[in-house]
Amino acid sequence: MIVKRGVAVSPGVAIGPAMVMGTEAVRIRRRFIRADTADAELARFRSALENVCQEIVTNEQLATEQIGKQYGAIFSAHLQLARDPRLHSEVDELVRKRHYSPEFAASQVLRKYAHQLQSLGNSYLAERATDLFDLERRILRNLLNEQKEDLAHLTEDVIVLARNLTPSETAVLDRKHVLGFATEIGGATSHTAILAGALELPAIVGVGNFLTEISGGTTVILDGNHGELLIDPDEATISRYRDAAKKARAVAARILKVSQRTAETKDQVRVHVHGNIEFPEEADHCIERGADGIGLYRTEFLYLAGAHERTEQDHFDAYRSVIERVGDRPVVIRTLDLGADKVLAVADEPVERCTNPELGLRSIRLSLDNLQLFKTQLRAILRAATQGRVSVMFPLISSLLELRQAKMILEDVKEDLTEEGAEFNPSVPIGIMVEVPSAALMAAEFAREVDFFSIGTNDLIQYTLAADRSDPAVAKYYNSADPAVLRLIRMVVRAASESGLPVTVCGQMSSDPKFVPLLVGMGLRNLSTTPLAVPEVKEVIRSLTIAQAEQIAASALELDLASNVEGFLRGELLRVCPDLAE
Amino acid sequence: MIRRTVTVTLENGLHMVPASEIAKAVRDFSGRVVIRREDIVADARSVLDLLQLRAECGTNLEVEAEGDGDALVVDAIAQLFALNFAVERRPAAGSAGTGGT
Repeated sequence: MIVKRGVAVSPGVAIGPAMVMGTEAVRIRRRFIRADTADAELARFRSALENVCQEIVTNEQLATEQIGKQYGAIFSAHLQLARDPRLHSEVDELVRKRHYSPEFAASQVLRKYAHQLQSLGNSYLAERATDLFDLERRILRNLLNEQKEDLAHLTEDVIVLARNLTPSETAVLDRKHVLGFATEIGGATSHTAILAGALELPAIVGVGNFLTEISGGTTVILDGNHGELLIDPDEATISRYRDAAKKARAVAARILKVSQRTAETKDQVRVHVHGNIEFPEEADHCIERGADGIGLYRTEFLYLAGAHERTEQDHFDAYRSVIERVGDRPVVIRTLDLGADKVLAVADEPVERCTNPELGLRSIRLSLDNLQLFKTQLRAILRAATQGRVSVMFPLISSLLELRQAKMILEDVKEDLTEEGAEFNPSVPIGIMVEVPSAALMAAEFAREVDFFSIGTNDLIQYTLAADRSDPAVAKYYNSADPAVLRLIRMVVRAASESGLPVTVCGQMSSDPKFVPLLVGMGLRNLSTTPLAVPEVKEVIRSLTIAQAEQIAASALELDLASNVEGFLRGELLRVCPDLAE
Repeated sequence: MIRRTVTVTLENGLHMVPASEIAKAVRDFSGRVVIRREDIVADARSVLDLLQLRAECGTNLEVEAEGDGDALVVDAIAQLFALNFAVERRPAAGSAGTGGT
C-alpha cells in the first residue's frame, strides 16, 4: 500500500478501481497551411469556435441547473474567452501572415496567455491557466473532429486519477459512476475544486507526481476528509474504511429522519434550534431539516444582488416570502449589516476607501448615517410583521446611545406609518446582536432596553482577539474556543437570564457539534445554525442531560488555552454523541 | 471621453469570472473602452487582456471610454466594481463577504 497526500477539496470517502487518465495532450498533426487556403482555414476555425460556444452554453445550462448559478458563471466566463477579440485577431494574423494551421495558431495563442498567467506571480490567476488549456483542448477537438473523451459515458464505478481535470471535464463527470477524483496538480481555489464541492464528489488535488506509480484497475481509497489517497490498500484497511463510510452514511440518514422531532435533552429541557438564512428559499431547507424557526435572516442580498436601490416593496416581498415559508414559526430579521464601500456606491456617491473596513462605517452605523436607507427597511419589516412572528434585530451595536438612536428611528417610522394609515405591527420585538465586546461588557444595561439578545460569535471573536477572520495570515489567532470569548458569552447569558431575556447564539460556533454541550451548559436554550447543521445540533442536544452539559461548561471555563478547550470539547463530544465526533 | 477610477475589492483580484462580466457589459458599445493599470492598458472587451492587468484586491484601475454612449458604459463598469461583481458571491450560510454574524 502506498499513501499519497494532497489538498482535500471536497469531503467524503470513496473506494474503487482507479481510472488513470492519459496525460498526453491532443496532437496537432499539421502545423502549416498553403497561403491561398487562409480564408478557408479561417472559416473552418470560426465554425469550430461556433461549435465550442454551443458546447459551453450547454455546459453552462447543465451546471446552472444541477449545481447553481454561480457555477454556471464559470462557463459563462469560458464563453467570453471563446469570443475574445484578442484570440480572434491573433489567430487571424498567425494564419494569414505566418501560414500557421488554425490548430497550431489557436494553441500558440492560448498557451502564450496561459504561460503569462502562470508567470504573473498570483497563484489564483495562475490556476486560471487551466481554463485556457480547457478552451484550447475544446477548440482542437472540434477542429480535428475528435470524439469527446469518455468520462461522461462510463459503465462501471471508478475513481478518476489525472494529471489535472479541467472545469468542463469535472462538470460532465458521470456522477453515477465516478466516485471521486484525485489530481496531481491544482489548488484549493481552482474552479475544478469548487465544482467538486458543489457536486459533492470526494476530491483531492495537488497530490504531486503519482500517475506513473499506478495502473488502471488498481483499487484505491480516496479520503476527501483528510486529503489522502491510498493506492492498493490491504484488505484490513479497505474494510476499516468501508465500515467508517457505512457508519457515517447511516448516522446522517438516521439523524435526518428524526430531525423533525423537538430537541429536548434527556431530562426533558427544550432547546430551540433555528436556522440562519440569507435567501428566502433557504427557509425551506431549514424547515425540511427540522428548524424551529429562522434565528437570523441576513438581509444583505437585498442590497447586493440588484443594480438599482431596492424599494420598500422589494424588501416587503422578500420578508413576506420568508414568513410564508415558515408559517407560524418565528423569524428574526436583521437590519443591514454591510460596509459603506458595498452599499453607498450603489447610490452613486463616491465612497472613501477606509483603512480598516471592519472598524469603519459599517452595519448599524451605516444605517444611522443613512436614515433614508434605514427607514425604508424598517417600514418594510413593520409592515411584513403583520403576517407572522417577526422580530427586528440591530447588528453591531457598540453603545447604548446607538441602540437608543435606532429605537428612536423605529418609533419615527411607526408614527409615519400611523399617519399614512398603513397596516403594520406596532409591537415587533426588538433585539440586538451582541458581537462587539463593549456590548457584551454592558449586557446588563442593554438587557433593560431590548427584548432579546443574539450573540454573533463570528464578529465577537474577531473583535475580541483582534484577528480578521478573512485574512489567512492571522487565521491562527482567530479561535472560537478562546477562553476570553467563552467568558464574554457567559457574561451575556448571565445578564440575560437575570432580566429574563431570551438569548441565542447565531454564529458559526453553534453549528459545530462540539460546542453544543458547552453552550447548553452555559445556559443557552436557543441556537441558530446553518440549515445543514440543524439535524446534527438537535441530535447532540437529545444526547445530553443538563447536569452533564453544565459540568462540561464548568470544566471548559477552567481551561486557560484555546487549544486545551478545543481538545476537551472534542473528547466530551466523543463521550456524549460518539456518532458525530470525528 | 469619460474616465473614472475604480478599486478592485474582489478577494481574489480581477480574475476570470469578473473579467468576463466586464467583457459582457461592454459588448454592445461601439466605441473604444479600455482599463488601465499604470502603464498596462487592456481592451475591456478582452478577458485575456484584462487578466494581464494582474489587478489584485486593493488595486486602483482607470476606466476610459470614448464614443457614443461612453458615459453609460463607464457607469456600467463602475457599477460592477461597486457591487463587487455580484457573481462572486456564494449563497451559502456563513458567507463572510456579506456580513455574517
